[in-house]
Amino acid sequence: MDLHILDHRLKVTSICKDGLVNFTHPLIKLIFLRNRTRCKFFSLTETPENYTVVLDEEGFKELPASEYLQVEGSTWLPLNVVSNGHASSSSQAVGVTKIAKSVIAPLAEQHVSVFMLSTYQTDFILVREKDLSVVVHTLEEEFNIYREVGGESVPVHSQDVHNGLQKNGKVATKPTVHPVLSPQNQFCVMSLDPDTLPAIATTLIDVLFYSSSPKEGPQPNPDLDCIKFFSFSLIDGYISLVMDTETQRQFPADLLFTSSSGELWRMVRIGGQPLGFDECGIVAQISQPLADSDISAYYISTFSFDHALVPEEDIISVIDMLQQQRLEPAC
Amino acid sequence: MSGSKPDILWSPHHVDHFVICDSELSLYRIESVGSAETKAGALSLSEETAATLLAINSDTPYMKCVAWYPKHEPECLLAVGQANGRVVLTSLGQSHNTKCKDLMGKEFVPKHARQCNTLAWNPMESNWLAAGLDKHRADFSVLIWDISSKFAPEASIATEKIRLSSGDADSGLVVTKPLYELGQNDACLSLCWLPRDQKLLLAGMHRNLAIFDLRNTSQKMFVNTKAIQGVTVDPHFHDRVASFFEGQVAIWDLRKFEKPVLTLTEQPKPLTKVAWCPTRTGLLATLTRDSNIVRLYDMQHAPTPIGDETEPTIIERSVQPCESVIASFAWHTSSQNRMVAVSTNRAMTDFTVFERISLAWSSTTSLMWACGRHLYECTEEGGEGGAVDQDITTKMRQRAQSRYGHDTAQVWRNHLLAGGDDPQLKSLCILKIWSRGNRGTNSLWCILASRTLSSPPLARRRAGAVGVARTDRRMRCGSTARSGAWRCSCPAGSSAGPEIDVEPFLKSLEQEGEWERAAAVALFNLDIRRAIQILNKGASSEKGDLNLNVVAMALSGYTDEKNSLWREMCSSLRLQLNNPYLCVMFAFLTSEPGAYDAVLYESSVAVRDRVAFACMFLNDSQLPRYIEKLTNEMKEAGNLEGILLTGLTKDGVDLMESYVDRTGDVQTASFCMLKGSPGEVVKDPRVQCWIENYRNLLDAWRFWHKRAEFDIHRSKLDPSSKPLAQVFVSCNFCGKSISYSCSAMPHQGRGFSQYGVSGSPTKSKVTSCPGCRKPLPRCALCLMNMGTPVSSCPGTGKSDEKVDLSKDKKLAQFNNWFTWCHNCRHGGHAGHMLSWFRDHTECPVSACTCKCMQLDTTGNLVPSDSI
Repeated sequence: MDLHILDHRLKVTSICKDGLVNFTHPLIKLIFLRNRTRCKFFSLTETPENYTVVLDEEGFKELPASEYLQVEGSTWLPLNVVSNGHASSSSQAVGVTKIAKSVIAPLAEQHVSVFMLSTYQTDFILVREKDLSVVVHTLEEEFNIYREVGGESVPVHSQDVHNGLQKNGKVATKPTVHPVLSPQNQFCVMSLDPDTLPAIATTLIDVLFYSSSPKEGPQPNPDLDCIKFFSFSLIDGYISLVMDTETQRQFPADLLFTSSSGELWRMVRIGGQPLGFDECGIVAQISQPLADSDISAYYISTFSFDHALVPEEDIISVIDMLQQQRLEPAC
Repeated sequence: MSGSKPDILWSPHHVDHFVICDSELSLYRIESVGSAETKAGALSLSEETAATLLAINSDTPYMKCVAWYPKHEPECLLAVGQANGRVVLTSLGQSHNTKCKDLMGKEFVPKHARQCNTLAWNPMESNWLAAGLDKHRADFSVLIWDISSKFAPEASIATEKIRLSSGDADSGLVVTKPLYELGQNDACLSLCWLPRDQKLLLAGMHRNLAIFDLRNTSQKMFVNTKAIQGVTVDPHFHDRVASFFEGQVAIWDLRKFEKPVLTLTEQPKPLTKVAWCPTRTGLLATLTRDSNIVRLYDMQHAPTPIGDETEPTIIERSVQPCESVIASFAWHTSSQNRMVAVSTNRAMTDFTVFERISLAWSSTTSLMWACGRHLYECTEEGGEGGAVDQDITTKMRQRAQSRYGHDTAQVWRNHLLAGGDDPQLKSLCILKIWSRGNRGTNSLWCILASRTLSSPPLARRRAGAVGVARTDRRMRCGSTARSGAWRCSCPAGSSAGPEIDVEPFLKSLEQEGEWERAAAVALFNLDIRRAIQILNKGASSEKGDLNLNVVAMALSGYTDEKNSLWREMCSSLRLQLNNPYLCVMFAFLTSEPGAYDAVLYESSVAVRDRVAFACMFLNDSQLPRYIEKLTNEMKEAGNLEGILLTGLTKDGVDLMESYVDRTGDVQTASFCMLKGSPGEVVKDPRVQCWIENYRNLLDAWRFWHKRAEFDIHRSKLDPSSKPLAQVFVSCNFCGKSISYSCSAMPHQGRGFSQYGVSGSPTKSKVTSCPGCRKPLPRCALCLMNMGTPVSSCPGTGKSDEKVDLSKDKKLAQFNNWFTWCHNCRHGGHAGHMLSWFRDHTECPVSACTCKCMQLDTTGNLVPSDSI
């Protein structure tokens, strides 16, 4: 297995819902005018709380400083696991599940905070730049690690990145087990030919910026039966979309790509209150049990909460499992 | 590929069919204009060809890539890869083939939709279709579909149902289960099947090139690289693969897959297509975005991974099929170097890349050139005469054959050897006699300079050449006249000593029939009577011109009076005389004293005559000016007659340089300059260059004997050019050079036979080492000990001691020389070896299989000259 440290330096930001008007111009530029910006990594996720925007430094320059813009201070580097065909194709579980044991768990043990971003095409594991040496040191036994520089992959070894720091020092405290909740809407994960992006531009703008228009306003379901969740990412020319089935209907059916089986996903939202960026082991505590049960999943971290998508037929068992887990440490 | 940019595909089997695909598929037939012009709507592709639209298929939206079924039947089956990853089989035009109908509309659907980037039919297993898809986190990116299930006549409906049951059963034409799935969690951007084995698939994956082996799908060979787009195998060299990334093309050799064997110069714009020419080896065409040229790389000697690090010789050139920006192009499968290019506005151009012409002159003026698969030879028309005959190489070759330059005894004859038709060469040869006679090359200048010593700049310039400085005006004058005109003209009867008699010279001119010149010389010696006599004689001679009598008549009317009618008429009518000598005679007679420009600058008069005239009639201040001016004129014109003035000095080299520039005659230059003073002239790089070029020329003509003679001749005149000994024969026993010891020995006469001894017993035998007296090796053929008598001492041979190589003066016949193979080290007498290898290829020593003669590249060539 190969682990690629991609050539992007990312910022994790959050745009407050009220302040969206200040950012529509740069966002539209980043989404639709690929040729007008040098941004190669862009992800926008709408949650009921805010818009989480993850983008590289080139893209970050486009965003105007504003009181509505919250920026996480560190620079994040995306990691990407490439199976290189060595992975046994027997296991059907994919995504976070596949890398849970090999990447997520060891990093959690080393007290490295990770920010997950699953797309239609792949899973990105974002780590802070300052943690890189620990990451390399931790994972080099399992992986051939390459750092991508200008399109070429350069092998990396821990001695190349030593900056004195061998371990984070802190012993991983017993992780807090966060409450989970599962909204009722069904989600689908899709992709799109970038060339046909203009064809859905109006719909996309509508969904992104006008979804919380007053007509739907007075329905915030206290039980969170349905959650507003929409994610768009444009990374290295690949588009990935996560939306619920309700939203999907607004798009022309023949343009969006999804699996031929038409699989649908249910969401598990992690955290009762904003999780912050320093706590580690959150992804691990969700992905571990999924991996144990061989359930595939998408995992999308946002500024406040984490979201896992699991196949809808598995949602009951997953919730049970996670509830169980929450009870156990209490015992 | 996608909607806006059209792509083009040639039919694999119909040489005149091609498909343009953008948003729809259009089938065209290409025809020559003659047959197509009757048809309306034919699109002109070039001056000779036009295309007719045969069919359009717009059933498949979102086309991303197209691949044409490689087999003959069904002929017009196309696989279309769509933006959502589905692969659809479709067809163009009417198909009467039921198999084709069964396949039509069949879809192959991946589990997770994403763009289909590339398609490739397996060339052998033609029901296998490989599709390369974009990345999906959980899915495979290379899917190999089997289209055959319905195809095979014996395939039962039952198996069909089973296959389809996994997919949408409703249409009955959807296949979701690929034969092979490869490249999980990766993206595939380009694919091609390797001709080495039908189960090997080369794929350009995300950040690496991978070779999948379908016999064992868990294994693959891969190399990390950026250059993963457009992988394509050289149809003529199955281990060579090209791929590209952005503006850079990488050439790979599959036998050494670790890194590209070659990367081509990076283009500023990203590439869009790279294709090997199917009809010519090693020709790669590349196209960049927004460009109207196709760049071609000719890789005839591209490096191979095995062995040498030789510099790759790649010839890069560009062709421009049409004015507009090219969207795509495709090589024709069988027509040589032909392609059709389609521009972004769908205009098509039929274009044949003109093959580079490689041209070769042979050393014997015949010309040959190769273009494509044709070889043309240009032969001389009419043989003798004409423009070809004028060529200097032909002349030089003929001159070399007639031993031009080699007659060292009678140098003046050389101009006859040269053909005798070039006045400049003639004057040069005459000059050579003269210079020899004066034991030096600068004699003329010695004397001329002494004559002109009073002119400081000129004198200083010639200072090195000044031998004897004489001050006496009379002496000077006389000697000058003599020097300039020893054979030419005028011991000045009036002013100089009477010791020089012009009469013999006039006689010789008369003999040669140069009446006019003789008359002029007589006149310049102020002997009108003699001049008239000569003219009369000329008129009455066999081929004489009666007009000479008229001239004599005019001459006899000479009067001293300034304003006479005679003078007036002569000075105006003289210009109508054809012969320059007659012309200058009247110019001389009619000119004012001291103003002889009409004579001095009459370029048709031989330089030597003009110089002689100048010496006689110009005063001390005029003469050096005139000489200097004439010298510069001659130097600029490269007129060999000017050697008279420059001598074989640096100035002579300058003059010769402009002569060589004008004529290319390195032969004359070499022979002439060899006689120059060895110190400065022969060492001049220009002279060395001429000499080397002439030697090379002789070699190229296979005039080896002539070249050897030239070298001998050269080494006599320029001892420093003698090559050092390159081969030494040393005794096996004592290790001493046998030739070295020989030369130290007293002279051994020719009386030695091969084994015999003569003379005193202290003299060693020829066949034994002179150092230790052990026998020399035996000839492999006659088994006799070898040995050749050696000349006493090479140092004593004087340059003027003429060695005639063709005579029996040689110490040892060539047949007795040592010779041996550098490879197997066997050898013997040269004569024996030569006759052995006339009939054999292998070494004469039994059990030695060395093919000695074949190792000698020139050994089998026959010299084209004789000794």
